[in-house]
Amino acid sequence: MMSPSASSPDVVVRVSGFVKRYKQHLAVNGLDFTVHRGEIYGLIGPDGAGKSSVMKAIAGVLGYEGGTAEVFETLLDSEQAAEQVKRRIGFLPQGLGLNLYPELSVEENIDFFAKLRLVPEADLRERKARLLAITRLDRFRSRLMKQLSGGMKQKLGLICTLIHEPELAILDEPTTGVDPVSRRDFWAILAEWQAVKGMTALVSTAYMDEAVRFHRLSFLSHGRVLAFGTPAHVQSLVPGLVVTFESTPQLEAAARLKRRYTQVESLGPSLHVFTPEQEEEAAVAGIRQALEPLPVAHLHTDEPELEDVVVALLLKEQDGQARVSERLGPSAVSATMPQFDGPAVEAKELIRDFGSFRAVDRVSFDMKQGEIFGLLGANGAGKTTVIKMLTGIVPPTGGAGRVAGADMRTAGGAIKERIGYMSQAFSLYLDLTVIENIRLFADIYGLARRQAQQRTAWIVDMAGLSGYEHDRTGRLPMGVRQRLALGCALVHSPRVLFLDEPTSGVDPIGRRRFWELLSRLAREEGVASLITTHYLSEAEHCDRLALMYAGRIVAEGTPSDLKTQVEREVGQLLEIAVDKPGAALAQVAKAGFTGAALFGTKIHVLSRDPSRDEARLREVLARVGMTIAAVRPRMLSLEDVFVSRVMALERAAHKKEAP
Amino acid sequence: MTAGQRAATWGQRLAALTWKELLQLSRDVPLLLFLIYSFSLSVLVSGAGITMQLTNAELLVQDEDQSPSSRELIHRFQPPYFALAGAISDPRQGLRQLDQGRAMLVLDVPPRFHEALMSGERTAVQLLVDTTNAPQGLSAAAYTVRIAASFGTETALASAGLSGAKASMPLVSSAHRVWFNPTQDERWFQSISHLLRMITLFAVLLPAAALVREKERGTVEQLLVSPLSPFQIMFSKVLAMSGVILLATALALYGVLHPLFHVPMKGSAALFFLLTGLHVFTTAGFGLVAATLAKNQAQVAMMALFAVGPMLLLSGITSPFESMPQWVQAIMTFSPLRYYIDITYGVMLKGAGLDLLWKPVGAMLLLGGTLFGSGMWRFRRQFQ
Repeated sequence: MMSPSASSPDVVVRVSGFVKRYKQHLAVNGLDFTVHRGEIYGLIGPDGAGKSSVMKAIAGVLGYEGGTAEVFETLLDSEQAAEQVKRRIGFLPQGLGLNLYPELSVEENIDFFAKLRLVPEADLRERKARLLAITRLDRFRSRLMKQLSGGMKQKLGLICTLIHEPELAILDEPTTGVDPVSRRDFWAILAEWQAVKGMTALVSTAYMDEAVRFHRLSFLSHGRVLAFGTPAHVQSLVPGLVVTFESTPQLEAAARLKRRYTQVESLGPSLHVFTPEQEEEAAVAGIRQALEPLPVAHLHTDEPELEDVVVALLLKEQDGQARVSERLGPSAVSATMPQFDGPAVEAKELIRDFGSFRAVDRVSFDMKQGEIFGLLGANGAGKTTVIKMLTGIVPPTGGAGRVAGADMRTAGGAIKERIGYMSQAFSLYLDLTVIENIRLFADIYGLARRQAQQRTAWIVDMAGLSGYEHDRTGRLPMGVRQRLALGCALVHSPRVLFLDEPTSGVDPIGRRRFWELLSRLAREEGVASLITTHYLSEAEHCDRLALMYAGRIVAEGTPSDLKTQVEREVGQLLEIAVDKPGAALAQVAKAGFTGAALFGTKIHVLSRDPSRDEARLREVLARVGMTIAAVRPRMLSLEDVFVSRVMALERAAHKKEAP
Repeated sequence: MTAGQRAATWGQRLAALTWKELLQLSRDVPLLLFLIYSFSLSVLVSGAGITMQLTNAELLVQDEDQSPSSRELIHRFQPPYFALAGAISDPRQGLRQLDQGRAMLVLDVPPRFHEALMSGERTAVQLLVDTTNAPQGLSAAAYTVRIAASFGTETALASAGLSGAKASMPLVSSAHRVWFNPTQDERWFQSISHLLRMITLFAVLLPAAALVREKERGTVEQLLVSPLSPFQIMFSKVLAMSGVILLATALALYGVLHPLFHVPMKGSAALFFLLTGLHVFTTAGFGLVAATLAKNQAQVAMMALFAVGPMLLLSGITSPFESMPQWVQAIMTFSPLRYYIDITYGVMLKGAGLDLLWKPVGAMLLLGGTLFGSGMWRFRRQFQ
């Protein structure tokens, strides 16, 4: 293990040989890790990997069957032992705001937890002010918890967990289902509490792009550790390069590449391949060879992201499992499904009011047939209302639109027959089997018996459901359920699909398979998809994106358009590797660099003039005796784009409100 | 698409939804067990166990006369109505027994009772009754009054030298015939009443719970974006649950009421089941309205109990409808159970047909239509 010695005062959490069993099911099987004081330690891995079980055991709220869990050198083997350490711990369970009281206001919730923990009045006032300020919740002190958005609830949950300044915070998937801006606020609190108060944190996450913020991490799958160490170390376990390029026809290119490479993704017009070769020349040569004679254009290479590595590790683990079938079979597009000309969706000045609140404000956009169109925005930005209007659940207050060639106002019935819909809850009947679910929707869409049989076979094949046909849906893993929900939405061969956060709660491999299906549907069958998501790394798969804020569309374009626009406005992203990142960050921020933030052991800053700023950074840090190991420019991520846009708009709105 | 094809598709959709409800119910084992229990054992126990008639009222006797007349009078307090609990000699003893709840009645026959009767004087006996349980106490008192009165009359006639039968005196006797339940078997009334209670309870709860579950899970949104009308979504639930409830009713009727209590079916069984279906549809309307207001299953169960509670208590199966205050009767005009009671007793025990029952049937149809309509209106509105 990595710990220096058993009696080291540095060790906050020590888990060894940990085993947790639920009846017959082995949830965690022999887990070891050690968390040192002042560390932000990450647990990552797919659903059901055993993360929550370990965290609950460390928080002292769940017993375990084998091995040991020690916190502050106290062996957690009894209720009494757990009671001893509980006052030094803060625990945030999984789920949005589950530890809070919906009928109490923001301030009342905080005060309640503070009183429970006997926090002195003066300390409470000071901490509350600070925490509310970082999370930008201070304007909502008297708002009832139940009226907050999901992201705000989660930030409040974190405040209530940290109000007694625990030495160890245990946070179970604190950012799942939370919008990117709130997620950044969340990390800001954690970083400050760790730097200023010396807090230790054990955090689990489903977002791989967040995992680079951890000092060290363990990557779990099926109750075992697949990899552990610093993010850089884990990344080095699967060496390789990511090559991005364009090649036409895209589908054929992808098919050829898949014979040679395990990770091939189509992102909009580009292809994204993870190569085992580490040398750029060898990697590119390999790809050209695999593609021969197809052309290769706009090629560039990057170091792999942690997500590429994680997926590679998972694929290695589950080698030989059922994969999505290589080719879509004949789709048997039903004869009754009318083809239509013109855009798949055309929204003109759509407005929707709820009482005096304008949820959607003059939203207009076009979506071509066969296009994957992403609608991004924080919780409550109006994305879901737009989808509900276009699908006919909610009538618009104003504006007009055409969906699948039919007028929204007059032909609601025709629209419903031509579209497919899949929502974040995966609207399936959990007590019915896979086949029964498909049959139900086949009947609802009025398919004849023979047609229904053909479609059922096609869906089972397309979504990789064979072997699961007669299982109850409630017993299936999330990823399989999600593909079944997509299948049910496709049962009547719709031309337009609406997908409302279809990937929340699904692990990285499941998400990749899902996107593979969507892009095949788009390219092979010409199905247009309108999709909302919180995973901005996924939004890269979309052909075009629209960003919503406060009911309006504030930016629209291809992913690379959006990035270039923001880069022009705020500058380029520089990644700085330095030996004492915490201390260095404070210096960098003091020197006036905007957007300075810590990502694991690296610092990110935005720069309009990279060469001049690099010199200045070196000078600033040299003055306090720190040396920069490397500075390298990075492409802005869509998350950077999103956060930068939304923050600017929030500042503007705030100014208007308080002149 | 022709009108015929459209109708066929409409039917296919309704059938698919109804079948889905049945499948889901069949997978809910605890609920199924509860349903079966409610329509079998629970009906059996209520029929056999609940009785409102006066039975085994404990009677203490203080016979201070010890004469043929006093013995004759005491002898008239007979089982099953009364049970002799013993004789006492001290009035305070009787009071104590009443206080402790060990006796319900204390009969005190005064000294010189026989002598007074023989000499044609007026005399009286004292009866103390515990009416904590008002209906039982009152009916015990009423029986006692009748026993004392008939004993008095007979003694008076005898002393006048006449035997009761040949009396040419102006006496009114009531020659009553017991109709519809000739053996006066109370189990009939109790078991039927309980069956009606169960039908009503499940008619409100099952469809409401099914609808709210879809809201909770989010599946209802999937249905709303499909080519389905709110009518199809809601009616399929009522259809499926009516089928299940009718099946359960048949179980109670032919598994318990008929073989064990010998409750007859004087009228048409088909008519009874048809009208039971109508009652379930009407009552389900309450549940569906509640389901559009509630957010989760716990809430809808609570709301349903609010609606069902008064309905069960005040519609006339728990206490006689006619004896309730006018305003309660007026409110109960909106209780489908009130009409269904008339219908059930009419068809089962009196052999009535639609010619006699058209009024309650019409009222139920009107009520059911209104409720279902407002449920549909609310259903559309709640998502907008």
